Amino acid sequence: MTHSHSMPRLAVVWCPDWSVVAAGVSPLEPAAVLHANRVMARTPAAATAGVRQGHRRREAQRICPSLRIIDHDPARDGREFETAVRSVAQMVPRLETTEPGSLTFLTRGPSRYFGGEPAMAVRVLQLVREAVPDVHVGIGIGDGRFTAGIAARQSAAQRSPTPTIVDAGGIATRAYLAPLPVSTLLEVAGVSGELVDLLHRLGLHCLGDLAVLPGPDVLARFGPVGAFAHRIAAGGDDRPAGAMAPPPELFVTQAFDDPVHMLDPLVFAAKHLAQQLHALLAVDGRVCTRLAVVAETEHGERSEHLWYRPNGLSVAAIIERVRWQLDGWIQQPGGLSGGVVLMRLTPDQVCSDNGSQLGFWGGRSEADEWAARAVARVAGLIGEQQVFVPAWRGGRQPADAYAWVSLDTADVTEPTERLAVTDVPWPGQLPAPSPATVLADALPAEVLDGAGHVVRVNGRGALSAAPEVVSVQGRAPEVITAWAGPWPIDERWWDAQQHRRMARFQFTTISGTALLAVVEQQQWWVTAVYS
Amino acid sequence: MERGSLQVRHERLAQLINTVAPVSLARDRVLRVVPALESLFPDAGLTRGSTIGCHGVAAMSIALAVVAGASADGSWLAVVGLPALGLRAASEVGIALERLVMVAEVPDLNETAWANMTAALIDGFDLVAIRSGPHIRAGTARRLQARLQARGAVLIVVGDPGRFSCDLDIGVQHAVWEGLGDGAGRLARRRLTLSVSGRRLGRPRQTAVWLPGADGAIEAVVAMEVTAAASPPASPPPVLTPPVLTPPVLTPPVLTPPVLVIALQQAV
Repeated sequence: MTHSHSMPRLAVVWCPDWSVVAAGVSPLEPAAVLHANRVMARTPAAATAGVRQGHRRREAQRICPSLRIIDHDPARDGREFETAVRSVAQMVPRLETTEPGSLTFLTRGPSRYFGGEPAMAVRVLQLVREAVPDVHVGIGIGDGRFTAGIAARQSAAQRSPTPTIVDAGGIATRAYLAPLPVSTLLEVAGVSGELVDLLHRLGLHCLGDLAVLPGPDVLARFGPVGAFAHRIAAGGDDRPAGAMAPPPELFVTQAFDDPVHMLDPLVFAAKHLAQQLHALLAVDGRVCTRLAVVAETEHGERSEHLWYRPNGLSVAAIIERVRWQLDGWIQQPGGLSGGVVLMRLTPDQVCSDNGSQLGFWGGRSEADEWAARAVARVAGLIGEQQVFVPAWRGGRQPADAYAWVSLDTADVTEPTERLAVTDVPWPGQLPAPSPATVLADALPAEVLDGAGHVVRVNGRGALSAAPEVVSVQGRAPEVITAWAGPWPIDERWWDAQQHRRMARFQFTTISGTALLAVVEQQQWWVTAVYS
Repeated sequence: MERGSLQVRHERLAQLINTVAPVSLARDRVLRVVPALESLFPDAGLTRGSTIGCHGVAAMSIALAVVAGASADGSWLAVVGLPALGLRAASEVGIALERLVMVAEVPDLNETAWANMTAALIDGFDLVAIRSGPHIRAGTARRLQARLQARGAVLIVVGDPGRFSCDLDIGVQHAVWEGLGDGAGRLARRRLTLSVSGRRLGRPRQTAVWLPGADGAIEAVVAMEVTAAASPPASPPPVLTPPVLTPPVLTPPVLTPPVLVIALQQAV
């Protein structure tokens, strides 16, 4: 299969750790930007100290105690990136942004103008560095978005980046991709981590290993996602499935009779336009994946920008991007000479809407997002050691089966790992129903028989007498109406220090309460209440 | 395909979106409760912005059962100062543990800090379960409840509601355990007679449920069992261990105050 001759030749400009650059931190100061308690970007100084993306706040601070923590602000990232975009836009038309920190454009026009791809790439790097002084930036050129994206990351990984250019043509592209690890599928193309993990376990470590498999077999085994991964690993078409150019007459526009000088009214107008556009596309069951946003002032100044999002741009995503673009444009040094008189949103590429943004099945919903924010807020108020989430531990006692783990060691939004329950039933565990109140510290109790003696359990599990009365922590004794036990536990018999032998009992008392009690070394404890 | 039929399909899709859209969009709706509890609620579910008090020997179980339906549907549950919450029981009754967060009550936390923290949780969570106390003043409770109504969350107060005014109070009239004998069997299930009173209920309602039921979840007591409850049932409950054939009614209907449970909760 050779799609490659139809693949557009693209250049990708990549600024790693853009968020710290946008925050205006010097590269020599150790600092990191955190999102949902995880490092998402760090300065070169912090990177040298060993802070990596994905580290938790505590972990990062342990590695680098002088680390300055900066909150994530997408609006700041977008606004600051506009400076770089404007600078490159002087010589390259139709720039496209996926996220702040990454620019994509077609090389055909500019490379002719500057006398070849290498010269053009060096010039673009120069322009970005002039616009944003402290930035570390790389540029990659290749066939298609995936190849160019990898090349840009390789370029940025160098100490003093030089352009990485992959030769045109399917054979060169495939040869370039073949030795790369399959994890690039996740990092660059956003293929699900589960699939990448699975490929690893199947022994497919390089893109080349995946590319040589027969396409129909990959589709049969891994479904459409696998087919997409297979296609791009072989240097094939990396556009989302069903992508197409919309009819040229499809756009939404608004002209302002009174020129608008402020950002907020523009964003408000953009909201209406975005809703209109969304409704127009939704009639045909489509969603916009690439959108051109154009604004013009009364004196002909113009801001035009393409925004790309492989899963489709929702109304909220469109508004956010319009804000990024116009905020940086309006606030540029010197400002605009007049007010904005026209705004237009034109879809450049649409694909069928499969509802991937709503997160119905396993995806992140809006409720998850709100909860994650509230948790971050509360952790800021009282400390993350005081906020807990459940984690499965396994054990015979109710207090052992699940444990509360604090946020400094766990993630609210990544529950899969901590709640993974092994399928086998835990031997020796009491079957359902479980007690609704589990005491972290068991309460000392006295269990007496009819004659007022403490009930004793011998090594063979025989009772001295039937229990009649229970008194918890020295409170007034209550009559036991029914009981069962003992269910012995002999835990960690191989370890002299941690060896525990005890027997469990259930009691119901005259007040309707049901208790779970244990007796260990002839001392009774209440460990849980069926409240 | 002609335009008209697409239009029709689009409308149908729009209707479908209304029913399956994420919970946080449905401000005007109620959150689902498990079928066994529907008859207790005026709207057959948890009205957003309302406060629900759970008392009695089974306060914790009732609180968990009340939020189980909404939690399973995708709502997040925050629990404040209830570290003794049994997680296995919560999971058995149907709470989605991946959407559960517990905030420990710091001993020296003053009232303002407690209120700020609870307000932050109300902002982000659909369900917030707390334990009130004498240190919460009426003004604080009122402000939190106003916030609750603005955000559309549901507050569950476990135990004594203190200064919180509950829209619905769920208490226990009778609690009878089944399955435990004189040295044999094990706790199998509990028959609870719940009594519910509230502003929007004309007069108190009652309903009988198995909470926890045989597998830990809540079950409605079916009509046949209601009539049979006075005498021992013909067949033993499904998961009793073989030796147990003791009659289910082990204690007389309990009307004494649940001294022990309250004492335990205070001790925790």
